[in-house]
Amino acid sequence: MELRIAPQMSVMEKLEILAEGAKYDVSCSSSGSSRANDGKGLGNTVAAGLCHSFAADGRCISLLKILFTNECIYDCKYCVNRRSNDVPRASFTPDEVCELTMEFYRRNYIEGLFLSSGILYSPNYTMELICETVHKLRTIHRFQGYVHIKAIPGADPLLIQKAGYLADRMSVNLEMATAEGLRAIAPNKHRKNILAPMRQIQNGITENKNEITLYRHAPHFCEAGQSTQMVIGALPESDFQIMSVAESLYEKFSLKRVYYSAFVNVNEDKDLPALSGGPPLLREHRLYQADWLLRFYDFKVEELLTAERPNFNMAIDPKADWAVRHLEQFPVEINRADYHTLLRIPGLGVKSARRIVAARRFGNLTFADLKKIGVVLKRALYFITCNGKMMYPTKLDEEYIVRNLVYQNQMGKGEKLPFLADGTSYRQLSLFEMGV
Amino acid sequence: MEEKYLICEDSLEGIFTGIYDAYALREGHEHVHLQVGEEENLRLFAAYVHIVPDPVKTDKVARTLKTRLGEHVYHSLCRAAASCYSDKGEAVYRTVVDALTAGSGRRVMENVRNPHVARCFELARYTANEAHYEIEFIRFQELAATNGAGGSVLFAKIGPKNNVVPFVMPHFADRLSIENFMVYDEKRKLFGVHPAGEEWYLVTTETDFLPEEAAWSAKEQEYQELFRAFHRTIAIKSRENRKLQRQMCAYRYQDYMVEFEQKR
Repeated sequence: MELRIAPQMSVMEKLEILAEGAKYDVSCSSSGSSRANDGKGLGNTVAAGLCHSFAADGRCISLLKILFTNECIYDCKYCVNRRSNDVPRASFTPDEVCELTMEFYRRNYIEGLFLSSGILYSPNYTMELICETVHKLRTIHRFQGYVHIKAIPGADPLLIQKAGYLADRMSVNLEMATAEGLRAIAPNKHRKNILAPMRQIQNGITENKNEITLYRHAPHFCEAGQSTQMVIGALPESDFQIMSVAESLYEKFSLKRVYYSAFVNVNEDKDLPALSGGPPLLREHRLYQADWLLRFYDFKVEELLTAERPNFNMAIDPKADWAVRHLEQFPVEINRADYHTLLRIPGLGVKSARRIVAARRFGNLTFADLKKIGVVLKRALYFITCNGKMMYPTKLDEEYIVRNLVYQNQMGKGEKLPFLADGTSYRQLSLFEMGV
Repeated sequence: MEEKYLICEDSLEGIFTGIYDAYALREGHEHVHLQVGEEENLRLFAAYVHIVPDPVKTDKVARTLKTRLGEHVYHSLCRAAASCYSDKGEAVYRTVVDALTAGSGRRVMENVRNPHVARCFELARYTANEAHYEIEFIRFQELAATNGAGGSVLFAKIGPKNNVVPFVMPHFADRLSIENFMVYDEKRKLFGVHPAGEEWYLVTTETDFLPEEAAWSAKEQEYQELFRAFHRTIAIKSRENRKLQRQMCAYRYQDYMVEFEQKR
């Protein structure tokens, strides 16, 4: 194989360069696939996925997330590996990737491989290299763990299909919520080229499901589905635009996950915003919260945001924000309300709602029982009754509840944010500046 | 009536034998209690009975629990019995009574209104969570085989609060079916052993077992360093958040993980 880099580079140097290049890809889940070991090779997959370590930024390390190469013919403004950047370049060989994966996996460092790549020569050439690598890993090394492959936009559909039979999950990054945004920021990428493989993978998964119904031993195609990611805060897109795109991706492309990546200005490009307060982590957090509401709590985007009110309230979480604007639906009687109504109460999650439904078969629940079940009473108490009584007298008034929730947050006793805690990020934006 | 305390050994066998004997007393359950380990403060007007673990009684109890309550509840009870808290005996016993005698049956773990069931649920969840963390955070080191037959042994040391080795082994026995590996709980001096392609089993030892770096295979050092480099590189500087890292992966796990170099 002809490569443009010096061949004497050690695996250590390559790993450092190619992990550096891959780290802005958010997806790290190893969930969705459930496969037992067959006794002939190494590995299995667990439906819920496993995290094996946590990096200094608190993000989980589940997969060996690397680029095959960081040489790239594209010049996307946000990307550290763009053609016009003078950064050290490296490429793995398929054998190096296989060996690293196998040895890390045996030691329980990782759950599998996440293989992405810069575009070397052409999309087809790159996709072929990726397929060759994973094919080796699956056949020669008999690796049965999790593999996530990045589909290269613009690659031949046949190659994408081949990759789908080797991978548990595939992803194509949407990068920007709008087509205009993508054009402005990634001149070599086109929305059409991104959506085409996404649709192909979706159809592949559907067909494969039908095949497996007929032929039990038919090979699996992307068993864990596909995901994508969008960069947040590089362009002036509203939360409403971003969430609407996410919703349509879930509905029309049957995606498993949409990831949101707070923009980090690695290139200090003049066309991109300089973010003095660091990456927009709080906004990213609010988007993830809303994403969960879409996927597990039966919410629709129009309920959370509208064109007139296009951004999330930074001071309280999206669910509480929805609840205080719909006080006509509260308070909810815990011992009577159905599961879907319970899910909409702030301070209650999927687990506590399920436990409530199960536990109340044995008799009426009290506030003490709710505490044991895991309900966050300090948030829920404004919205619920137990046996017709509220926990203590409180006003069902929007301003009053918001004031109390925000006050709790300010005292550090309310919502647990994953980053405000040690003041490393986002401390610059106080609640007063947010207009509360 | 006088309270009766059954003192049983701190093991699944001890607790199950205790439950068997509590039922065998035929005195109802109101005044009978199960206590794990030694009696601490002796109570006045209470009788203490020492229970000798009995494999036949244990088997009978296990079989009854499995058939009457289902595998799911049975496993929850086992996890609660593996807890590090000493009130587990009473919690497991009372939960069994709630299920078999008070009639909540297979749904017993949902009856959180009963404080003993709630406690049992809590203990089982704690053990299950810790077992899950160990499954994620265990780090195997490759040791060179000493018998000259070639091949290698993977070895992992852990120091969990609860007795999780029995719950961790099935996961790795499937995943690493073609490997020889051992998981060693240094707090209980307990080994889970898996010879390649065979069933796993538990062994207890009296002496401390500490393989030195000298026992590592030729490549071990290199892969540890590679993983440390990966772990360092993958973090995004502008998002650094040590508190979140600690929250997701507590120090007591980090102490056993190769990628966390700085020992506290």
